[in-house]
Amino acid sequence: MEGLLVNYYETASIVLFGVGFTTLMFHNNLIKKIIGLNIMDTAIFLFFIAKGYIAGGEAPIIRNGFKGALNYVNPVPTALMLTGIVVAVTTTAFALGLTIKLNEKYGTIDLEKIMEMRGNSDDE
Amino acid sequence: MTNNFPLINILILMISAFTAPLIKDFKKTSILVLTTSGLLLASTGATLIETIKNGHYILNIGHPDTFLGIQFYISNAEALIAFVFAVIALMTIIYSNSCIKSEIEENRIGLFYTLVNILIASLLGVVYSNDLFNSYVFIEVSTLSACGLIVIKDKKENIKATIKYLVMSSIGSGLVLMAIAYLYSITGHLNMTLAGQVIAINHMNYTNSILIILTLFTVGLGVKSALFPLHGWLPDAHSSAPSPSSALLSSMVIKVYIFMLIKMIFRMFTLEIVKSTVILDVILLLGSCGMIFGSVMAITQKELKRMVAYSSIAQVGYIAFGLGLGSIGGMTIAVYHIIGHALTKSGLFLLSGLMIKKNKSKYIDDLKGIGREMPFALILFTLASFSMVGIPVFPGFISKWYLSLACIDIGRIPLILIILASSLLNLLYYFPIVINGFFGQNNLQGKVYNSKKIEKAKIAPVAVLIVLMTLTGLFSSTILEIISASFI
Repeated sequence: MEGLLVNYYETASIVLFGVGFTTLMFHNNLIKKIIGLNIMDTAIFLFFIAKGYIAGGEAPIIRNGFKGALNYVNPVPTALMLTGIVVAVTTTAFALGLTIKLNEKYGTIDLEKIMEMRGNSDDE
Repeated sequence: MTNNFPLINILILMISAFTAPLIKDFKKTSILVLTTSGLLLASTGATLIETIKNGHYILNIGHPDTFLGIQFYISNAEALIAFVFAVIALMTIIYSNSCIKSEIEENRIGLFYTLVNILIASLLGVVYSNDLFNSYVFIEVSTLSACGLIVIKDKKENIKATIKYLVMSSIGSGLVLMAIAYLYSITGHLNMTLAGQVIAINHMNYTNSILIILTLFTVGLGVKSALFPLHGWLPDAHSSAPSPSSALLSSMVIKVYIFMLIKMIFRMFTLEIVKSTVILDVILLLGSCGMIFGSVMAITQKELKRMVAYSSIAQVGYIAFGLGLGSIGGMTIAVYHIIGHALTKSGLFLLSGLMIKKNKSKYIDDLKGIGREMPFALILFTLASFSMVGIPVFPGFISKWYLSLACIDIGRIPLILIILASSLLNLLYYFPIVINGFFGQNNLQGKVYNSKKIEKAKIAPVAVLIVLMTLTGLFSSTILEIISASFI
């Protein structure tokens, strides 16, 4: 229990991950699914960046001389998550684009309803 | 110079990918893409010869001689897989040059080639990369371009299949990224070799974490490679895509992720540590279920391409089965099956595309008597299905034979029954098509057989694939020896 409170960044990110994951899995509305996806990704970003944080550390830019490795936050997780954000944005954009197309063709964005429409979609 | 080929491959493909849509003339685009994949074939071949001669090597990108930058690890298995992928890519592109116009809209053809090139580049990246985060980025790129290849045909079905695929694989990539985050937090490295060294030293302190990481990786990569209970997206996606896309998706995309799992389990976690958890048994169980379930579902299908797609699920089961055995022999045969099945399945999908187009119907029942119209295509189909069923000499047989031997080696003889059952089930759905194709009479009334001419441009690439598949079977002992050199 104490471990959870001390590592509150990790706890929060795991909770967020759970929220995002369940939203992505159990909601049929595509927009909600995409929101769930984003929450899940953000949770991972938080987790990752928390790993590189050093309390009291400054940005890893050397000014007025080098102050020792422990005085700067670890730049690697931050840099990685920048890429992670780009990937998440791309996936979101693509998913939203597909949702628009899907809405045009089927008239709904409820995935379950769309799956049921299978029978009469053989238009060829 | 030769050492840098893997990196140059990916760069050339990317450059070609973004030049292709700028060229308006279809002929010039196809020449550009063909040249690129020809170069790819030559350089992956050179890499393969190099690794066979001198063993594996590590290619540092950006920071030579340090572990700071991204790293490629190229051993025989990677080089061989890359070479086979290059062959399949070249053949698929030759095939699609002659028929893509009929499957997708004219103004999307440039984009089609862009997506194909990005897909191949990112798959090669996943195969080569020794860096976890780099692999993750390549995985995402390959997923998105694979989605693009499905939705390039602007039909209702395709959009539905794509959104299903995208949602499922987003879950998968979320889990993979979480696994990488955990691994980074306990090892402090993203490089597989360095992370492996840290794990080897203090895995006793982190038994639970390692179990969680392995589970996340298995589920995450399992979703993307359609491991049994997570395969829901595959039949729709692979059957609705245009045939060249289906061939690429089914032969390359789903294999790469499971190869990454093999790489990580062998190189980073090492077999001893993984064996102390239950993960390998779970993979074995899922693989076995997939082998049976995929085949049973394939029997019940009415559409040709759906049937071939379900058969892919069974074949991924074989690869997972080989991995789950947890022995060097099992891993070697898993990689061999990746190669054998890639060649077979790409051929099968391209042939199904031809037959469906000729027959103007996607249902298996309407294919009776197709052998009279396109005898050559059906002969190739027969050879490919021989491999699927496991007739001796063909790679399917070799995989099953050595998988059984690997089962005996580790003393789990009952598992052979699963392999046998799956083979028999394969027989039940491939042979009716062949037999009815050659001897069925039902569909012959009212059809004029003026079209006996062989469409060389379309049949030739498939024939090359099938011939290579047969050679893979004939020279299996050499190939297995080459692969096993990377699992020492």
